[in-house]
Amino acid sequence: MPFGETIGTEWAWVIPALSAAAFFLTVIFGRFLPRQGAYIPVAAIFLGFVLFWYVLRDLLTSGPASFDITWISLGDTRIAWGVNVDRLSVTMLGLVTFVALLVQVYSLGYMKGEPRQGWYFAAHALSAAAMLALVLADNLLFLYIAWALVGLGSYLLIGFWYERREAAEAAKKAFITTRIGDVGLLIGIILLFESTGSFDISTIFHVAQSGGISQGTITVAAVLLFLGAMGKSAQFPFHVWLPDAVEGPAPVSALIHSATMVAAGVFLVARMLPLFELAPGVMLLVAGVGLFTFVFAGTLALVMTDLKRALAYSTISHLGLMMLSLGAFGLGAAIFHLVAHGVSKAMLFLGAGSVTRVTGKTEIWDMGGLRRRMPVTAITFVIGGAALAGIPPLSGFFSRDAIMLAVMDNRGPAFLVVALAAAALSALYMARIVLVVFFGPLKADNEHAHESPLVMTVPLVLLAFTALTVGFIALPWGASYQGFGDFLADEGGFHFEVWLTALTLALALAGVAAGWLTYRTGHISHGQIARRYSGLYRVLVNECYVDDLYQWVVDHVVLAAGNFVALYDRVVINDTGVDGSALTVMLSALRLRHVQTGHLYNYGLAMSLGVVGLVLVWWLVLA
Amino acid sequence: METFNSYVIFAIVSLPLAGAVVLVLLPSYRPRLIRWVATVVALATVLLTFYTFGFYDPEEGGFQFMRQWSWLELPGPWPLGEQGISFALGVDGISALMLMLSGIVMFTGVLVSWNIAERNKDFFILYFLLLAGVFGVFASMDLFFLFFFYELAVLPMYLLIGVWGSTTDFRTFVRTKEYGAMKLTIYLVGGSVLIWIALLAIFVQAGLGTFSFVDLQESADFPRTFQQVFFPFLMVGFGVLAGMWPFHTWSPDGHVAAPTAVSMVHAGVLMKLGAYGILRLGIGLFPEGAQDWMPVLVVLGTVNVIYGAVSAMGQRDLKYVVGYSGVSHMGYVLMGLATLDHLGVTGAVLQMFSHGVMTALFFAVVGAIYDRTHTRDIAVLEGLAKRMGVTASLFAVGGLTSLGMPGLSGVVAELLVFLGLFKTYPLLGVLGIVGAGITAVYILRLMAKVFFGALGERWRDQTDISRLEGFSSWVLVAFVFLVGLFPFPFIRAIDSGVSTLLSRMAGA
Repeated sequence: MPFGETIGTEWAWVIPALSAAAFFLTVIFGRFLPRQGAYIPVAAIFLGFVLFWYVLRDLLTSGPASFDITWISLGDTRIAWGVNVDRLSVTMLGLVTFVALLVQVYSLGYMKGEPRQGWYFAAHALSAAAMLALVLADNLLFLYIAWALVGLGSYLLIGFWYERREAAEAAKKAFITTRIGDVGLLIGIILLFESTGSFDISTIFHVAQSGGISQGTITVAAVLLFLGAMGKSAQFPFHVWLPDAVEGPAPVSALIHSATMVAAGVFLVARMLPLFELAPGVMLLVAGVGLFTFVFAGTLALVMTDLKRALAYSTISHLGLMMLSLGAFGLGAAIFHLVAHGVSKAMLFLGAGSVTRVTGKTEIWDMGGLRRRMPVTAITFVIGGAALAGIPPLSGFFSRDAIMLAVMDNRGPAFLVVALAAAALSALYMARIVLVVFFGPLKADNEHAHESPLVMTVPLVLLAFTALTVGFIALPWGASYQGFGDFLADEGGFHFEVWLTALTLALALAGVAAGWLTYRTGHISHGQIARRYSGLYRVLVNECYVDDLYQWVVDHVVLAAGNFVALYDRVVINDTGVDGSALTVMLSALRLRHVQTGHLYNYGLAMSLGVVGLVLVWWLVLA
Repeated sequence: METFNSYVIFAIVSLPLAGAVVLVLLPSYRPRLIRWVATVVALATVLLTFYTFGFYDPEEGGFQFMRQWSWLELPGPWPLGEQGISFALGVDGISALMLMLSGIVMFTGVLVSWNIAERNKDFFILYFLLLAGVFGVFASMDLFFLFFFYELAVLPMYLLIGVWGSTTDFRTFVRTKEYGAMKLTIYLVGGSVLIWIALLAIFVQAGLGTFSFVDLQESADFPRTFQQVFFPFLMVGFGVLAGMWPFHTWSPDGHVAAPTAVSMVHAGVLMKLGAYGILRLGIGLFPEGAQDWMPVLVVLGTVNVIYGAVSAMGQRDLKYVVGYSGVSHMGYVLMGLATLDHLGVTGAVLQMFSHGVMTALFFAVVGAIYDRTHTRDIAVLEGLAKRMGVTASLFAVGGLTSLGMPGLSGVVAELLVFLGLFKTYPLLGVLGIVGAGITAVYILRLMAKVFFGALGERWRDQTDISRLEGFSSWVLVAFVFLVGLFPFPFIRAIDSGVSTLLSRMAGA
């Protein structure tokens, strides 16, 4: 029996372990190696990607499996490390290893010559390891640990260029914003532990489904878990960190916008969906937050002039779409869109990085016509944009169609109408970005622009190829594979509504057409529209003042509270209470020392009074 | 081996004392020699504490490595009067861990004090006396000697801060080293008055004619009302030392005034003495009194957590931030103790260890920054990571530990505390987790300001932390990771001690 035959699902834990080991090796020994050890994480994630195929093969032949080892046992509490290899986690393994691998390879070119690049690749390895552990986790505690480490990895990567004030602030903002959600998540996890006696996810489902937890507890716990997911997946009103996070290097954005960080929140809700389904109110909340985020971020993506910022709002918008899908019980569709979007968005950010690296520009209006100088980047970018706009037969078309179907079946027409409108919007803003950056006349100061080296374009091409083809996993391929929804969540075979698909497609094409008329031919003047609705436009370009509101709260409430308590502690508790007591003692002593007169008759008087007093007490009280 | 084992605790307590005596005999114009002697003594001590913790058998539990010398017999009306006061040493799982913590902090403290120029002989003498007192408290099984060592630990502190400390001018107010030293000493002596009253009351009420902890715990029967009256004496007396709100202000001021190594011992170990006293004497001797008073303690602990964290956010001085962060983290210890729950108390003790190592790391790093920049003002420090990369990394490890990053020690301890709290006081548990969130805010703000961003013009020529200081910090970092990644040996040892203590609870 060849060696390969023995590798199966029980090897799944090796995939995150490889990257974790790579992190430590690179940190410790990287300085002695060529390129500060950058090849170690790349090799680790490559091996992980290879292992993924073995795990997938074994999963398809022998079914899901789980393994665990005891970590802490204390009294009757046992906490185990365990991995859960099922279709959801293996799908995520595939996405994460694939995207992380290509992003790291691309980084070999992008970060060439960067001092401290060993640390950069180590942080990539940490992020990948944490995310891979997260998707495999079979208990909530393990999941939380990986969850927090994903946050740490993103913090380190976003703040990699820490000398730049903006990057340092963006990293801090990302950490603190998601941390607020994490507080909720941790409370939710402990609440579930208290009511079920276990961190184990399947045990929790079992207890919850058999009525072992009260409805109220389930609802509260699900809301708390969702709070964590909202933070990580940048759902309104926690979305503010993601646009700022583009201050990190472009490949970092590619990673955290597709495979790690933001994917973690969607994954959490997907993983815990059986629990959420027991709380219909929370499902409605998930759908509502998702829908609102989908629309809200879509409108902002339309007016951003910074390329990466526009892409960031597009990410937030699509994450909202995934949440909407989950809230509409469309698990398969949500994960399908996570994969489809992840591949496309990683590519778009890598493409944006390629553009910015060559031209030094970040504003889209400073670019233009770049397809002449950077054909590979331009073609792949168009493919990624088209995929997200939902043009068939690209991946985004299939996934969005599946989501709309779920929304129509489970959430009704009101949700569907708004979602369709936002879908047209996302086609429009994608068209805008693509047309403004790559089409039209070439700007004079971009004449020197040229295509990026192979190490960067090959990942782009591979991602573009995947974005082109991955949509076909939606379709049934035979008796054993009835489409992705059935594969992932037993949702039954592939199906679609002709009128809904036609409508979705028509809206997407209308969005693209509007974009073409506005940004290519100029039949519609976006400047005039902006002037006519200047009030609305101003609100939108200022990102609806959400950031300013938060900044105001931080400055005038949070920090003010800190300053107040610090002052209170010093002036009231210490200077008044503590020093005041000391002063009282001293002042009393100053007074009381006059009792020490040195005159015998004073002492005699005091003594006799004392004796008389004692006698009186004895006589009146005790006798 | 048997003989060695029965003397090892004695060696741990007496090595610093012996070191102090040797240092007295050395000429003060040989600072290099003094340094080396101090380092060797500290190294020997820390290795012995590793030995003790490593060979403590948690399966067997109870007190081990015991040794007893009768010191004062008290013949009289009491049935067991012959035992009286004895110099009895021994450790259980909890105190073995605390000895190891003290050993680690002592050793690293000596290393960061390597460059003390002014009167380093006197410094190390007092430093060793202080540590002897600390070791004595953790290792004593006799209440009289426990108290004796407790007092021994407090007094050298006064001189160490008063002589080697620093006065800081904050423009709107000034904190002199004399002020810090005096406040600290008066506070701790005040606390010890309460403790001494409680100890004498215990002695008289038990009527056993002995100060032996084990005898008192097993044979004495304290009425519930007696416990209710005297538990607060221990709770407040030791609580002062643990930085319990509102008796905490000595601690940040003391940290700011103290030299680096003393801050490390002070925050890293001395504050743990207070929590240890509440656990060992308060909960150990007065289980019922503890049960009645725990609602008060848990509320005070919660106030510590939130109040400390919010105050830390409003500080401008690095040491004040770390000091208030200590107040906040000691709150978790108090909360954990107050749960009287297996997980909660175990978490509290682990938090004592974790915070001890972490805060020692913080003070070592802040000390290194101060030595170079001569300021701790957050407003003027900027972008230091560019020149002080290692320093920044070390601080980041401490910061991530304190905000509860998995893989580092803090989160394990805090998680156990939270699990205990959700069983007993779930709403306060929620506040505890919120406190951990606030910690993230002030730590990350501080790191972004001090270490990141463009390098401040004034700090163009800064040098990074030296190899020696760096070494001592990496030792602490190693323990932070050790507890974070492999907490089980630590938890098992603590658990063996906690089980014994909690088994005496009513209804347990």
